[in-house]
Amino acid sequence: MSLTIGKIAALANVSTDTRYYERELLIEPAVKSEGGYRLYEHDALRRISFIKQAQQCGFTLTEIRALLTLRKSDEACCNDVRRLALEKRLQLEAKITAMKVMSKALHNLIETCSVDGRNLEDCPIIAALEQATGTTS
Amino acid sequence: MKIDLLYTPGCPKCVANKEGLRATAKNLIPNALWREMNVLDEIEYAVELGVLTLPAIAIDGEVVFASLPTSQQFERELIKRINKEA
Repeated sequence: MSLTIGKIAALANVSTDTRYYERELLIEPAVKSEGGYRLYEHDALRRISFIKQAQQCGFTLTEIRALLTLRKSDEACCNDVRRLALEKRLQLEAKITAMKVMSKALHNLIETCSVDGRNLEDCPIIAALEQATGTTS
Repeated sequence: MKIDLLYTPGCPKCVANKEGLRATAKNLIPNALWREMNVLDEIEYAVELGVLTLPAIAIDGEVVFASLPTSQQFERELIKRINKEA
């Protein structure tokens, strides 16, 4: 059974811009009905739901493409998917660690600044950032 | 020297040349500490090392190979490090 763009959007809870998924080669292109409506096969709905779930886990479109390819591969098995998921988790944890370092650096800068309304040229945060730039250039 | 091979169970890529690499390490550095670590059990250590892809090899706490090297590549890296330490 073919689905219209509106039906797909409603069922998958996405905007009606399903052409985005088409452009990214994540779903098969739509065929046009006699009335000019874009029609998709039911598999497109499954794939869009899959893509949305994967995006929520942090996978990029390139990685999702790889997952979709694995899903269709006869030679792939669950271990391949698990390795990709594990690598994604490692990448997310690395980002979290880097962001914690950034947060700590900001905390230290904020600590240097008392709330006393001093002039901008006396702002210790600006001074510390300028100093940091000077040391790295 | 401490050599960690981080892998995920059931991954054929991870075990393809594992024995060859271990033999290379033991041959060049008999007292090297060779550890094979399942990332699922050592996720925090893997994150600490900065491992982003699997399998990976870390030498003395530094990720040196983000995928399994050939025995020749591994040997070259170890010799470079031995010369550096000497």
